[in-house]
Amino acid sequence: MFWHSFKYAFKTLIKNRALVFWTLAFPFILAILFNLAFSRLHDYDVFEAFDVAVIDDAEYKKAEIFSEAFKSLSEGDERLFNTQYIDKDEAEKKLDADEIVGYVYVEGGDAKVKIRQNGTNQTILALAVEQISQGVKIVNDVAMTQIARSAGQKVDVEKIYRDAVATVTDAEPNIKDDSRVMNIVSIEFYTLIAMACMQGAMMSAELMNRCLPNISNRGKRVAIAPTRKGVIVLSNLLAGYVMLVFSVCALIAFMRFVLGVEFGDNMGLIMLLAAVGSLTATMMGMFLSIVLKTNESAKNVIILIVTMAGCLFAGMFGVTKGFFDNVAPVVNKISPVGQITDGYYALFYYDDMARFTTDIVSLLIVAGVFLALSIRGLRRQRYDSI
Amino acid sequence: MKNVIEVKHLVKSYGSNRAIDDLSFNVKEGEILGLLGPNGSGKTTTMNSILSLLKFDDGEIRIFGKEMSPSAYDIKAKIGVVFQEVAVFDELTVYGNIDYFCGLYIQDKETRARYVNDALNLVGLKENKSQYPKQLSGGLLRRLNIACGIAHKPKLIFLDEPTVAVDPQSRNNILEGIKKLRDDGATIIYTTHYMEEVEILCDRVIILDHGKIIASGTNDELKALAKIEEKVTIEVAELSPNQLSGFDDIKNVSSVEYEDGVLKVVYNKGKNNLAEMVEYLQSHKIKYSKIFAERPTLNDVFLELTGKELRD
Repeated sequence: MFWHSFKYAFKTLIKNRALVFWTLAFPFILAILFNLAFSRLHDYDVFEAFDVAVIDDAEYKKAEIFSEAFKSLSEGDERLFNTQYIDKDEAEKKLDADEIVGYVYVEGGDAKVKIRQNGTNQTILALAVEQISQGVKIVNDVAMTQIARSAGQKVDVEKIYRDAVATVTDAEPNIKDDSRVMNIVSIEFYTLIAMACMQGAMMSAELMNRCLPNISNRGKRVAIAPTRKGVIVLSNLLAGYVMLVFSVCALIAFMRFVLGVEFGDNMGLIMLLAAVGSLTATMMGMFLSIVLKTNESAKNVIILIVTMAGCLFAGMFGVTKGFFDNVAPVVNKISPVGQITDGYYALFYYDDMARFTTDIVSLLIVAGVFLALSIRGLRRQRYDSI
Repeated sequence: MKNVIEVKHLVKSYGSNRAIDDLSFNVKEGEILGLLGPNGSGKTTTMNSILSLLKFDDGEIRIFGKEMSPSAYDIKAKIGVVFQEVAVFDELTVYGNIDYFCGLYIQDKETRARYVNDALNLVGLKENKSQYPKQLSGGLLRRLNIACGIAHKPKLIFLDEPTVAVDPQSRNNILEGIKKLRDDGATIIYTTHYMEEVEILCDRVIILDHGKIIASGTNDELKALAKIEEKVTIEVAELSPNQLSGFDDIKNVSSVEYEDGVLKVVYNKGKNNLAEMVEYLQSHKIKYSKIFAERPTLNDVFLELTGKELRD
């Protein structure tokens, strides 16, 4: 029974043009478009520093580590930015007149970027500021630890400061050199993989709709059959999951071998994260399909909005992950898209296995919660109205 | 004959609206029971409650002598349902669709293949087995819908308006198929808006309105409930107001309607009404082109009982 249901679920999925487009073709198309959009960045010769501004006020001056690090990106032949140090009014005027790509300012101790439009240079500026900010945060943590350890002893604050600046400056060669530019592109592709995983939510919702009598007539047929609902649901979801993992792996292979995207030595972990992310997305789709008491089309729209909002907050569509981490830090911590993207960040930026493992475990926990709630919602379900 | 379905004091409300109101009835083994009622009368709610798809507020439902519940798999294995809305996969062929739904009941592949072919023959879709649903006409799609519901050879079949919007050829095919299912021993609950189908197929009829049974019995028993004896229809070229009012005075006539050259005279008694009407028309020099008499139909009974046409 299980394999009978699995076989037909798989058959219907691969013949469903809309699903095949959104889960398989759409990420491939985006990958090709990303590749076209960022292909100029691959050629270091064509990269030119662009004009930005810094609001050189008291707050900026106070953020010494950040300002030193940012300054280092604005100096030398291989600089990223042609930086002007001006006040806010002037920066606004220059931004309005498109004389600068954006400006950087410090508010409440946090470095922020203001841009008027989305584009490659704006993304690079935002990424640079984000990375420096993250580096500063790490350094601050380390410094606080050192100070705490040195309690009662004489603290060499000057040395900590010098080390901090060196750490932040050294930590950002990714942005400075050729491989850095390449890696900025990789991040866009990583978020694309996360998005492809999340398409699984829509696929599993479609599969669940087939099993729910209050949503579809096919669901009524399934509900009156002498087959345990769990068997039908599980076989359908497994078929969807297999197809999803296959499509995400195909996408990664396409990026690596056709588009030449650099994934480094972490291919196995990238695949693992894709598989776990796909599982969470599948469970999320099942859960939403059960709890949303509305029709099939409305469910699909809601799931699409949830998925795309997650992608937006996680750093797609030209807005950086760091921006939303600052604005709404909780969202990316609970959103599966945020966790998948963060897992890739952890692999790529920091080579941080602890953070990567946390993301994997978090995704599994979220998947487990969705599964438990879904089972509860499905058990011996009869409806007030269908 | 033993009861296949026993419904006792079934109550189901949607908010303050009582959709089923203390409904009790039985369905005997091997019979075709017609479930009739105007829209919103509670037919589908009754069906869904019997199938355990819907929660109900009160009452008891037993099928094959056992209490029905969502996990009563042994009962479900003997039930087939053809829903009013077509419920098939566009991505599967005709054969694939029937095989999939049949496979939810029958695990043995060889048996299933035989059953699927039997179902294809029954609904006349053998030539179309490799086609996809979108390639089928409305009538053929309905036949596929039926095949998906009955391929596993159920002992109890629910057919919810299976002939809605189908061509006459497909309708005949479907009706023949249903008769064959009954001849093979299945018990059938049949809902429809087509009174002529009820008269052809059903051994017994229940008429529902506002969630209650307002009449039940065989076709003849129901027709006996009609207050009219006979209807005489006359196509008249011209009729003056005086001539028209004269019909009211004819013995046993209960009502007269005249519209677009057609005169309908309803008698509540009498045996030779047609002959007497012909004499009346001739004696009053009323010219007519056609005249015929009808016995009351189920539709007349339905109209009298519910105040609505079945297709309203």
